[in-house]
Amino acid sequence: MITDEAERIAALGPSPRRPARDAVNPAMINNWTEALGDGNSAYPELAPPAMVQVWTMRGLHPAAEEHDPLAAMSAVLDEAGYTSVVATNCEQTYHRYLRPGEHVSVSSVLDAVVGPKRTALGEGWFVTTRSTWFVGDEPVAEMLFRILKFKPGNKSTASALQPTVSRDTEFFWQGTKLGELRVQRCSACGVVRHPPGPMCPRCNALDPGYVVATGLGEVFSYVVHHHPPVPGRELPYVVALVELSEGVRMLGELVGVPPDEVRVGLPVRVGFRPVGEFVLPVWEAR
Amino acid sequence: MTRLTAAQVAKGDELPATQVHVTRADLVRYAGASGDFNPIHWNQRFAEQVGLPGVIAHGMLTMALANRFVADWVGDPGAIVECGTKFTRPVPVPDDEQGALLEISGKVTDLSEDGTAKITVTVAFEGKSVLGRPVALVKLG
Repeated sequence: MITDEAERIAALGPSPRRPARDAVNPAMINNWTEALGDGNSAYPELAPPAMVQVWTMRGLHPAAEEHDPLAAMSAVLDEAGYTSVVATNCEQTYHRYLRPGEHVSVSSVLDAVVGPKRTALGEGWFVTTRSTWFVGDEPVAEMLFRILKFKPGNKSTASALQPTVSRDTEFFWQGTKLGELRVQRCSACGVVRHPPGPMCPRCNALDPGYVVATGLGEVFSYVVHHHPPVPGRELPYVVALVELSEGVRMLGELVGVPPDEVRVGLPVRVGFRPVGEFVLPVWEAR
Repeated sequence: MTRLTAAQVAKGDELPATQVHVTRADLVRYAGASGDFNPIHWNQRFAEQVGLPGVIAHGMLTMALANRFVADWVGDPGAIVECGTKFTRPVPVPDDEQGALLEISGKVTDLSEDGTAKITVTVAFEGKSVLGRPVALVKLG
């Protein structure tokens, strides 16, 4: 829908040239250079080149602009809920100074619409237009302008990361929901293995089963995570590699133990912590 | 207007760094002077509602300040034939006398035989750059 509209608007090509409301004039030049604190004595007999866009701004009460591709694309995105806007890129090329009395016009074309993208501000679409300013038929400046139209208040929420489930790991996550710590076991030769995989590393059989572990083990190694921040977790936290009594090692967060009291060999037992649609195994001291 | 000549400029030259305070009053003036009346540049309540950290400076104002910095150095604003940047980080402007302090510096990063210099500008706010690789092409005298 958004992409279709973007294609339609882009296919319209450059908009008819829209004349500026006022001719280039010293009053606006003075306002602008004052706002910038620019005391260059060349003004206002000449207009600052960087002011080119100002001449064709549409005032406080802009009339509906059916030919302006940015307005048209913005309306489409507003309709879809992407109501907020920030500028993200601007590239200008100036061919010459403008002088008071000259009357510019502008023509714009929709260059690209890319999205939806997740940004720090929220989900949004990048809209790029290219504009050319003319005096008569002479191009005097060009601009590439890109904005981000985004959904306000739609920042990526800080929910904890969820595991990815595959055919190999499905049994494991089904187990945690039932309060079972399941460890893969080869149905052919009986060896236990973790993490899960399709093939037995000892006998190469493609016939995995599982056993329910006691959930008892010892810290084999661990790290204390201080940085960077992780969604849904408070820093610092401890990630422990635990050797289970069944003989396999398994990673998980060690909870309820201050980082400086963790040691290798600490006896632990499994606990279960719901996170979103999943239940994650965690380690607790015993 | 006199502008720097190619003989006066060498690749690697640093432009004299400067600092600019941007206050709420500057934003109001710039809104009027530029015709950009988007309320995110003057209305705290609105800016927060749409998910911004507060009232932010116009990107085009920040870019124009970078342009002016280059123009002051070269002596002639008409010497700038091209400029471009990304607006990578918003500049929140607090409602106080100091406003946001922008630190602007620049360097001649290229000098071609036809007398065109490439100026790479850095505009920093609270130690972080707010414009992505702002570059100006300057036709020297």
